Amino acid sequence: MKLENKVAVITGAAQGIGRATALMMAREGAQIVVADLQGEKAQAVANELKEIGAAALSVAVDVASEASVRQMAEATFERFGRIDILANIAGTYFPKKSVVDLTEEDWDRTMDINLGSNFLCCREFVPAMRKQKSGRIIGVASGIGHYGMRQFSHYAASKAAIIGFVKSLARELGPDGITVNAICPGSANTSMPRQHRSEEEVLERLRSTPLPHILEPEDIAGSIVFLASDAAKFVTGQSYDINCGNYMFG
Amino acid sequence: MSQVALITGGGGGIGGAVAQRMAQAGIALVIADQDGAAAERVKREINAKGGKADAMTVNATVAREVKALVADIAKRYGRIDILANVAGGSAYTKRIEEFTWAQWKEVVDANLKATFLMCREVAPIMRKQQSGRIMNTASNYGVTGSALRTPYAASKAGIITFTKSLALELAPDNVLANTVAPGPTDTPRVMAHESPEARRQRWWPNIPLGRTALPEDLAEMYYFLTTPESAAITGQVFHVNGGVVMP
Repeated sequence: MKLENKVAVITGAAQGIGRATALMMAREGAQIVVADLQGEKAQAVANELKEIGAAALSVAVDVASEASVRQMAEATFERFGRIDILANIAGTYFPKKSVVDLTEEDWDRTMDINLGSNFLCCREFVPAMRKQKSGRIIGVASGIGHYGMRQFSHYAASKAAIIGFVKSLARELGPDGITVNAICPGSANTSMPRQHRSEEEVLERLRSTPLPHILEPEDIAGSIVFLASDAAKFVTGQSYDINCGNYMFG
Repeated sequence: MSQVALITGGGGGIGGAVAQRMAQAGIALVIADQDGAAAERVKREINAKGGKADAMTVNATVAREVKALVADIAKRYGRIDILANVAGGSAYTKRIEEFTWAQWKEVVDANLKATFLMCREVAPIMRKQQSGRIMNTASNYGVTGSALRTPYAASKAGIITFTKSLALELAPDNVLANTVAPGPTDTPRVMAHESPEARRQRWWPNIPLGRTALPEDLAEMYYFLTTPESAAITGQVFHVNGGVVMP
């Protein structure tokens, strides 16, 4: 198993890419903190993980709140005593608005949840990783951070910022043996795009990629697990696009 | 039936490590190298450990040799699931005005043309199978450029865009093509020209993870790109360099 006895904190783990990552890491032997704003759903995922024999703790967390993230870290250390992997997957997509219609609150909320959460979670967990001279941090950005998207300028800016954050943190933490990378998913078969598109539109978009392959949460999780594993110990500061060939920026 | 992989430059360095990593995963290997004796050594090592490897000699810059190699493999194995083009490199560091036309062509052919010739022969086989994974090898210099290495950097940049185009072309047939971009890596060829201490002084302070790469670090990325976990990835560039370049 690739992650035997590793402790992984996964935010946004109640659904979609986060849940797929939790399941895949659990199957690879990791112990998982299932963190999500939706506490009940997080508990349900933790139960799924226990059913496959993994140790799991669910934590209800608001990743945009200093106090809440601190409590998540305390709960992690109390239960598992360490952290090896931090996957910052929690994020938000909304509202869909033109730049001129975006309120300051809209902007702040997106930045706090998507970008601020990366900062807050890293700030809480990095000292422990530094002490043990090892650790893996994976941020989830988005292809939209590279490509941009009409009526989602706040989202695109927050995701592009994650890439800059990851590169800087990779430089800062490299000497301590900690790697920091980003994954940039394309539009995946999750509930998120269905919040503003019809089922038909979602499927049409998923099928319109060069590869005849529907981008599933497991496709993203596979790369997150790779970056968390020993196999990727010399990879840091990178942002990998996973999008069935939809765009190629690297 | 196990998967079949063709690895160019498999006789040592990064290619040799790629061969070893894939053999560990139970993949049958054809190790192709210009240095037939080196390919033979890697083959023997793998087979001694219970792996399954063949060795073949090829100059990948010569179209008819590449054609014959791929035809031979197709005949023996009936399929090619994985193509890792690792052969390449450059023996020159010099100013642009000192490069002869022959030297320029030598470097561009060893990297870019060899990659083209191999892909041209293998792509139809993968298309027919409706599956395949191609990994080409660039360099961080293909993105950043490198003084005194103009043909090398140009050919590596060419490989990145060649691979993206190939990825688009082959995607409808479920054939994936990606580029792996090594940074400074301790291969025997490089180490023959620089002492470990000189290398340490030159590179380590500039690399966030504090060391140069080992061929095994790269091999893990090539292997990942053959697995089901990477089934949605095509046309991308994967830098494995300890953070020395973050494009």
